[in-house]
Amino acid sequence: MADESDGPAPPPTTGVDVVIAEDSRIQARMLQRRLTEAGHTVRWGETGAQALALVKERRPAIIVSDIEMPEMTGYEFCAAVKNDPALRTVPFILLSTLSDPIDIIRGLDSGADNYVTKPYEPDYLLARMNALLETPLEAADDVAAAMLEVTLAGQKFRVKAGRQQVLNLLVSTFENAVSKNQELVVANQELSVARDGLQKSNEELSALNAEISRINAHMVRDLKAAAKVQQSLLPADDVEIPGTRLAWKYVPCQSLAGDFLNAFRLDDEHAGLYVVDVSGHGVPSSLMAVTVGRFLSPKVSDSSLLVRQGSDGRITVSSPAEVTTQLNKLFQADEFSGLYFTILYGVLHLPTGRFDYCSGGHPALVRLPAGGGDVELHVTESFPVAFVPDVEYTQKTLQLVPGDRLFLYSDGVPEAMDKDRNPYGDDAMAACIAASRAAPIEVGVASLLEAVETWCQPNGPLDDVSILAVEWRP
Amino acid sequence: MDQFRRIQTGKKGDVHLVLFKDKKILDDTVLDEIRTEMTQLIGKASGPDVLLDFSNVEFMSSAMLGLLGQLHRKISSGHGRLKMCGIRPEILTVFKITNLDKLFSIHKDAPTALPTFT
Repeated sequence: MADESDGPAPPPTTGVDVVIAEDSRIQARMLQRRLTEAGHTVRWGETGAQALALVKERRPAIIVSDIEMPEMTGYEFCAAVKNDPALRTVPFILLSTLSDPIDIIRGLDSGADNYVTKPYEPDYLLARMNALLETPLEAADDVAAAMLEVTLAGQKFRVKAGRQQVLNLLVSTFENAVSKNQELVVANQELSVARDGLQKSNEELSALNAEISRINAHMVRDLKAAAKVQQSLLPADDVEIPGTRLAWKYVPCQSLAGDFLNAFRLDDEHAGLYVVDVSGHGVPSSLMAVTVGRFLSPKVSDSSLLVRQGSDGRITVSSPAEVTTQLNKLFQADEFSGLYFTILYGVLHLPTGRFDYCSGGHPALVRLPAGGGDVELHVTESFPVAFVPDVEYTQKTLQLVPGDRLFLYSDGVPEAMDKDRNPYGDDAMAACIAASRAAPIEVGVASLLEAVETWCQPNGPLDDVSILAVEWRP
Repeated sequence: MDQFRRIQTGKKGDVHLVLFKDKKILDDTVLDEIRTEMTQLIGKASGPDVLLDFSNVEFMSSAMLGLLGQLHRKISSGHGRLKMCGIRPEILTVFKITNLDKLFSIHKDAPTALPTFT
């Protein structure tokens, strides 16, 4: 006993008796656990009234109370404690949301010693408790308690509060503000970091977008250039072959096609006609088309397979079978892409109307007889080109009579599919060609294309469509 | 365990059975995947016998024929045999136009095709 009075008492920071008032069981349980961990003994009242009963039953070292509770609020509970001379000096902490400045006045009026704003860090609450326990409230202080008049938000309040209490509350309010301010500063820093990160990501995205636009522009330019090269594979606008009438339509399903066709004079007596269909679509197919086209030039050159110039300067026209067999040899190397093509190539002898043609896996050659007979489909069973090595292609001959029309086309015509994937078919094609018999050949070709496009409604053709027609009129 | 996305593979004796899973082989990407998977399968075997089963396939682009041609060359050069079965009449027409029904060995279904390998 003598020891205690001689030196300062050790701060009662651990192992004290705490009464808590909290109507939420979960909150109460969490608080209780935290306080127990800190070494305190905890008694819990679910309402202000219950807690007051606990306090009266045995004087605790400190009280922690929520405000919103049924039966008796935290303010009322606090006032009851502070009005009891036996309990007045027990430190009282209110857990407040401090959403309204009037809360402070109410707290003062009720006599609370300290505030902790919710939500709170348990360590913060423990620090507050320790601070109050280390500076015991002077019992004498209540002598100085006086009625104070406070004006807040235009309202006058008369509150009864001791100096110590006012100071404590002032300090706790200030600490609260500092603590909240620190939280705000940290949050602000985090926001600032996040904003910097966002800005950086935005800049990276912009750079990527610019890069994509650049590459896209580049590709569009290349595609346009390639499409232009492809256009050069088609008949010249002013192509005229004496003794014939020509008409053609060419509708690629993408910007680059695997189809191409042409008609031209080979020499004074011969005209050449072909339709080529490279398997697939897009860039690889169109590249192959352009390569094949180089070998099918009507002009004498190192690469042309169609015409050759002998040592005597005379030009010889290669037979369609020779041309196709030669193409097959040249394109066998194409192991990797798996690309191949079908071709129908014919040579028309202008003075006699003899038409020699060779098919490499191509759809039937169609003849519309001048005399009014049925449309003829001349089918050749043969391998596509670049498919089977060392094939000797054979050719066939048709003897035309003046006014006969021949139709060459790609499989995009008979195999055009409607929305239920039914093919347009050879019969419909033949009927359409026959129906245009009396009209000029241009009308015949145009109406066949129109029929195919109508068949494919509403999606349009999924394959390139090529049609080339010639009428022999010596 | 099935290691491939586009083809289902099995073995009957020495014959590799390949069933195409797709209903439609029209897309270039599908075709490229089939090409890659077939190369993985056949690349391991020397002179393999292969039976391609088309019974799931309802639509097929002409580019698929090119792939079949590649397979045919590759397998024949290794002294293996490539046969096909389960081809629908609509698709068989394409084989006929291009004369490929004569190049390839085509059978009605797997049970009738398998004995022809012996």
